[in-house]
Amino acid sequence: MSDRRLDRRLRTFHTCIEALFQAGSEQELLQSICDTLVTGGEFTLAWIGYGEDDPGKTVCPVAQAGHGRDFLEDATFSWGGEARGQAPAGTAIRTGKACWVDDIRTDPSFSPWRTAALAHGYASCMAVPFIAGAFDLHGTLNLYSVERHAFDQSTLEHFAGLATCVTRAVMALRGHLADDLTSGVSALRASEERKRAQEALQQAHAELAHVTRVMTLGELAASIAHEINQPLAAIIADANACLHWLDADRPPLDAVRETLTAIANDSNRAAEVITRIRAFLSRSSVPYGPCDPAEVIRGVLPLVHPELRRHGIILETSLASDLPPVMGDRVQLQQVLLNLLMNAAEAMREVLPERRRLVVRSTVEHRDDGPWAVVAVEDAGVGFGQDAGPRLFDAFYTTKPGGLGMGLSISRSIVDAHAGRLWATANPGHGATFHFALPGMR
Amino acid sequence: MTLPTEPIGSIPRPPALIEGLRGFEGGRISQRELHTLYMSAVQDTIERFEATGSPVITDGEQAKHSFATYAIHGLETLAPDGVPIAFADGHIRVLPRLTAGPFRYKTPADVYLDLARQYAHVPVKQAVSSASALSLLYPQGGIRGYSREQYLQAVMAELEGEIRRCLHKGAHVVQMDFTEARLSIRLDPTRRLLESFVDLNNLVLERFSADERKRIGVHTCPGADRHSTHSAEVDYAELLPSLFELRATNFYVQLASEPDRERVLKLIRTHAKDGQRIFVGVIDPLDPRVETPEEVSERVFQAAQYIPVDRLGTTDDCGFAPFSDDTSRTRDTAFAKIRARVAGTALATTRLGLD
Repeated sequence: MSDRRLDRRLRTFHTCIEALFQAGSEQELLQSICDTLVTGGEFTLAWIGYGEDDPGKTVCPVAQAGHGRDFLEDATFSWGGEARGQAPAGTAIRTGKACWVDDIRTDPSFSPWRTAALAHGYASCMAVPFIAGAFDLHGTLNLYSVERHAFDQSTLEHFAGLATCVTRAVMALRGHLADDLTSGVSALRASEERKRAQEALQQAHAELAHVTRVMTLGELAASIAHEINQPLAAIIADANACLHWLDADRPPLDAVRETLTAIANDSNRAAEVITRIRAFLSRSSVPYGPCDPAEVIRGVLPLVHPELRRHGIILETSLASDLPPVMGDRVQLQQVLLNLLMNAAEAMREVLPERRRLVVRSTVEHRDDGPWAVVAVEDAGVGFGQDAGPRLFDAFYTTKPGGLGMGLSISRSIVDAHAGRLWATANPGHGATFHFALPGMR
Repeated sequence: MTLPTEPIGSIPRPPALIEGLRGFEGGRISQRELHTLYMSAVQDTIERFEATGSPVITDGEQAKHSFATYAIHGLETLAPDGVPIAFADGHIRVLPRLTAGPFRYKTPADVYLDLARQYAHVPVKQAVSSASALSLLYPQGGIRGYSREQYLQAVMAELEGEIRRCLHKGAHVVQMDFTEARLSIRLDPTRRLLESFVDLNNLVLERFSADERKRIGVHTCPGADRHSTHSAEVDYAELLPSLFELRATNFYVQLASEPDRERVLKLIRTHAKDGQRIFVGVIDPLDPRVETPEEVSERVFQAAQYIPVDRLGTTDDCGFAPFSDDTSRTRDTAFAKIRARVAGTALATTRLGLD
């Protein structure tokens, strides 16, 4: 081989080696190798074929470059043992060894394709199998030249070396296909599972919160029944009075009108209590929206009022008129406040009647990040000892006989979910104050 | 009880439509004219489908470019030089390659369903691409600023939305085409690629409730196109254990063209899970000869020896023209084969004492 030809081949190989490292996919690599080999000027056609396991044992072209692509479209090569398997392409796959045809015009192994090959100007060809150690791609690199006797043992060894490198690169790319997808899918799987776990936790939390709301209202049932019963009794009495008046020859219509108005007011009062209860018991969790803390307080106080009255507890309120709106779930925040009020009432049940005083206070705190709404529930009950302080918000911690110990734990979860804070302080005299602070809407 | 029977999806396009597609690509006819050809082909296909007596039909995928790329055909963020799929007869189909994000569908399957339901009088089944097939669009070298995870997330979101809309719009069943399952074993004999495919598709399927999944199926075959396939040489024993890990209810499994059907049925019996219904392929679209109803009946009867009849159904091995330019089969042959499937399944129903 002339120095010039060797130099040209080395340059071609250099470009091929670059492709081994740059190709993003198997197809890109194989096509790049074919393109480079034809551009190098030594060959007129370069193609790569893979052996199929079909009945005909077809050698299927997967990449090609150069003159005479239609030759490949019409030609059928096989890697089986019959006549169509005797060309270098099939033989190299079948035997795992490189081989060549010196002269297409005369070589009997190429007779099925001779006419077409000569029409395209091919005079000789060579096939090199893609094998690297234990890896066999079951394919060949096929090179066609316009010169007879263009191939020899040294050429074969050069291209066998290239084929080995290509084989290793293809195996690496195939591995990457699985690796890339596996890593992508694993990341997705982990992210989906985190999302599902979070959803399950939220669902469990919502269910638990609902159960505790039901339980809290169960504790209030007697008082609420009384609260509803009162207007109902008044309605009945007023209705009877109206009926009685209407029996008269000249009914006192002004009195009837006034009484019917009272009936309507009492009906509205009872309906309002029921509406509040139904809203409070709603199961569905709603997306957070703008929420007025003053409205939260106003919604809860009527529910707890009868219970406080029943136990002789005086309720005092000191409510700021400029509380900032917060982002949240009104029902959940009502649940927090109701829980604190019920705990306060419970704490004062055993103390002297004159000490039974409960204060609900709301204030605005201006912090670095803006205004916060702070709500405090102050009682004069039995308070909590130093030991109990850190455990107050633990799940299942309770000082109440028959209590579940979930109320404060759930309340803290709710407030945390609102990016707020719930805490307790012991009062200087008697009892405790529970506070929750919520950031105003930004 | 009647054994359910369903088609896979595609029917060869009428010559006028194929010519019209060429005309449109060559700029000789307008989008509007092409749409008229689509409508006409869908209408004719549905009429002929219903005439076969098939209790469930499809639109024959008349307006789809291909079973795998219908949703993305025409997107500007695709290059034509993606993963090549070599078929046994030597021809190659090349998947497109994604060149940039974000990824969105151009024409989701429910658009085709809307069109079909305008003409249909019986339940319509809708085939969709799989997340695993679409995963092959992402280049191995990556895309700057658009990671593989971002792409897969987008694929899953598009696919979920597409399936939900199809279910909501009344598709009898939504069938995810998973022909790359068998191909993946050819590409990666270690089966890691297959495991990733299954996991990815499950991430989509798990977004649906158990009730919704009763109307979702998966189709597997060795990828018929023209006169050949891309992965028939892959042994079902390599595929089926993983395939039945998919969280779908219905499985449409190519069987008629298998050289040893009994062996495959034994594999199905071993690996299919309770609650999974297996629609076995009783028609070979690649075989130019039209099967007789008796042959079909015999195939069903054989399958019933291995699959409980309350979990058995019949189907075609594959679509009759998964790619729009495939003219290897005629419409007449496709409908004659479907008629044979329907009649043969009815015969088998009687023979099994189910009616």
